[in-house]
Amino acid sequence: MSKNNIAVIFGSRSTEHDVSIITAVASIIKPLELSGEYNVIPVYIAKDGKWYSDESLKDINKYSNGKFQDHLSKLKPVSISFNSGLNIIKPGLKNKVINIDVVFPATHGTHGEDGELMAICEMAGVAYVGCNVSASSIAMDKVAAKQIAASSGIDIAKFIHFSKYEFSKDPTKYINEIKNNLNLPLFVKPSHLGSSIGISRVTSFDELQNAIEVSLHYDDKVLVEEGVNNLIEVTLPILGNEELTPALLEQPVLHSEDFFDFETKYLQGGKKGKNKGSSGSQGYSTIPAKLPKDLYSKAEATGLAVYRAIGCSGIARVDMLIDTKTNKVYFNEVNPLPGGLYSHNWNKAGINNVELVTRLIDLAIELYATKKSIETVFSTNYLSQFK
Amino acid sequence: MIKSFFSIYRPSYFSTIIYMLQSSEYDVIKYLSWYWTTQDFSKVRVRGNLKKTTAAKFLLFTSWALALFMILIGVRFIYLWTNHQLFGGWTFGLALILGYPIIIANLIVVPLFLARILLVSPSNNRKILKSEKIFKDFKGEKIAIVGSFGKTSMKELLVAVLGDYKKIAFTPGNKNVAISHANFALNLKGNEEILLIEYGEGAPKDVELFARITHPTRAIITGLAPAHLDKYKTLKAAGEDIFSVGNFLNEDKVYVNQESRDVVSFLKPKFNLYNRSGIGSWKVANIKNSLEGISFEMSNKKTTLKLSSHLVGRHHIGALVLVASLALELGLSEDQVVDGIKNTKPYEHRMQPYKLNGAIIIDDTYNGNIEGIKAGTELLSELDAKKKFYVTPGLVDQGKETKSVHEKMGELIAKSDADTVILMKNSVTHFIEDGLKKGGFDKKVIIEKNPLKFYKNLDQFVASGDIVMMQNDWPDQYK
Repeated sequence: MSKNNIAVIFGSRSTEHDVSIITAVASIIKPLELSGEYNVIPVYIAKDGKWYSDESLKDINKYSNGKFQDHLSKLKPVSISFNSGLNIIKPGLKNKVINIDVVFPATHGTHGEDGELMAICEMAGVAYVGCNVSASSIAMDKVAAKQIAASSGIDIAKFIHFSKYEFSKDPTKYINEIKNNLNLPLFVKPSHLGSSIGISRVTSFDELQNAIEVSLHYDDKVLVEEGVNNLIEVTLPILGNEELTPALLEQPVLHSEDFFDFETKYLQGGKKGKNKGSSGSQGYSTIPAKLPKDLYSKAEATGLAVYRAIGCSGIARVDMLIDTKTNKVYFNEVNPLPGGLYSHNWNKAGINNVELVTRLIDLAIELYATKKSIETVFSTNYLSQFK
Repeated sequence: MIKSFFSIYRPSYFSTIIYMLQSSEYDVIKYLSWYWTTQDFSKVRVRGNLKKTTAAKFLLFTSWALALFMILIGVRFIYLWTNHQLFGGWTFGLALILGYPIIIANLIVVPLFLARILLVSPSNNRKILKSEKIFKDFKGEKIAIVGSFGKTSMKELLVAVLGDYKKIAFTPGNKNVAISHANFALNLKGNEEILLIEYGEGAPKDVELFARITHPTRAIITGLAPAHLDKYKTLKAAGEDIFSVGNFLNEDKVYVNQESRDVVSFLKPKFNLYNRSGIGSWKVANIKNSLEGISFEMSNKKTTLKLSSHLVGRHHIGALVLVASLALELGLSEDQVVDGIKNTKPYEHRMQPYKLNGAIIIDDTYNGNIEGIKAGTELLSELDAKKKFYVTPGLVDQGKETKSVHEKMGELIAKSDADTVILMKNSVTHFIEDGLKKGGFDKKVIIEKNPLKFYKNLDQFVASGDIVMMQNDWPDQYK
């Protein structure tokens, strides 16, 4: 039996381009290849938007040795076509056409994780791993995600949001609205970015305008949110389409004044906080989170409810904020493609890396089969009236 | 196919064949049989690389010099055929130019063979004769350790328990042939009380020769299982050689592992038999076994010793009981024995547990016999885990028993309670698969074509709560 062609698409025009490379190469391509069950095709989208596919792009050293751009300049960009699914076309004396069976999106942030890549897959009629177009775009818009979660009865922290245009027209109006309605400390966040890029913690209203401007530098929509008191931050990776498998609640080890910015997450190995965790494979979290049994169950149920409310499939990670005095669990945000698939957490939960990626492929194929069984066209006499 | 053929012309070819010689320990027969069954010489060096010893450098230089010489002679013959119509010159010249890699690979064994006959053997024989007198004159205990498996572990166990209280010397690592014994004897300080001498049976009459030279006062026979049957041909012949050590001792100074089923036909009335139930008047009770180690009580009419060890698996109990009783016989106090046993821990690659990605890996990759497989599969079945994996390439040097041993192995694995069995693809894989079927194994079997890749990326296949039992590993010369 021939092996399925799995295209792992990563990189893209995103602030999280580099994180995406690590996710793709280390957490997806490597275990997929080790499974021995697939032909794995790396598809790299460069920062200029050109697409490349070459075996050498599976090697992490190619990206980290400082000569990546030289290497890339020797490769010819590929093109894609939608004939009978998704095809990667490698140029040459005779073009090499690779028909893709399943796409494994590994892009983080804009132009990928936000649903754009999934839309390409939908148009091509190819199975793909993870959340669909709408879930991805909702998840990547923190404002929309919170509004949908709230409409499903899930607790969220109080927030105010506005666009770049709205704020530039009348900044004072929004500053005053925030001052009058929200209590310090506040979190100012770009609505569409992940990996904590552009997020500021505001402890005085004097810092507010600057924090908003920083966020608006990265995004055209910003939300300002009230901080949760007596905070424990937890995150829950979840797997599945209809039947869901939660991993373990993970608790970042942070001081109350700290929060997960990009540097903490990716550049310092999570060691910014004074309390250095040792349980998480990335060294900055405790797995499972040390919570009373009831609160653990409540947070897990909230995570699963959010996953369903947003319409996630395949895999996602739900971040939550817990007020330990009131035992209230607030939905914070959902990440439709967790960095590195959060494999360290799945490993703790008993799912190894090879099993994780093969299960995701199976879920993608299962969802695709369900979609194919639904009719999207039907015959009408509509055109005949224009004779 | 074509790529494989042209691998003999790669620049790395000569270092590859010398690596093959080195890995075969310069055993010409093993080297030649490996050479003639190899198709692609670019894929030989998987696990190791050529060690640049003086001998290796000399052989490498000689190979290249010979290659150059043969090409030049070949060109000369073609020239003579072209210009002077030398009969057969073209054919012979071309044969030399194209055939030099094969000719040199075979020719290279000639100086080795001659050097062994003319230089090494006489020098070794002189050393061995000299060592015989040293062993004979030695007044302390000389404990021979012999058997198809478990010799090095037994030796290390004795060292761990006796070492703090007695002046002991032991043959290093797995240096266990006559010349190693001779070198060992020649380096003794003279103040030793106990010598531990490992006998590495490899061919008929080996053990008899070692016993004749080393004059043992006691012998421990760790077990009998199919091993080195390429030389012994039958298990009976291997058993006869192993048990020949008994002819050099009083029967009551021979200790035999009774858990090894095949020893039965070689037992003599006064041999001391040890197993997990005890030895002589010592009886074992209250066994507790976990990944942290084993503990048990060892009692006779007079006393009870509460023993605990970091060794993993019930199969170690017999050996621990023997070592404890022997240590008492050799003058250690009960407290010293208890402390000594407490200090025993898994040896590298022998039932050695370690953590990986939250999983427990039991590294038993130096285990190369069916009795060890039995111990490993029993241990795996006894342990609790989210998922259990069993990994093996099979066993080597099983001779005519290859099929039956591996089918038996498959049946043992089937009983191990493994969720997934991973077999490293080679010439015995299908026998293990047959055994798995016979044993009724109906879970997942993965045939891995690239063992090294699998071992290097084991962290990708395991998760928290899993247990992986890895038994045996094949060097490059086995396929």
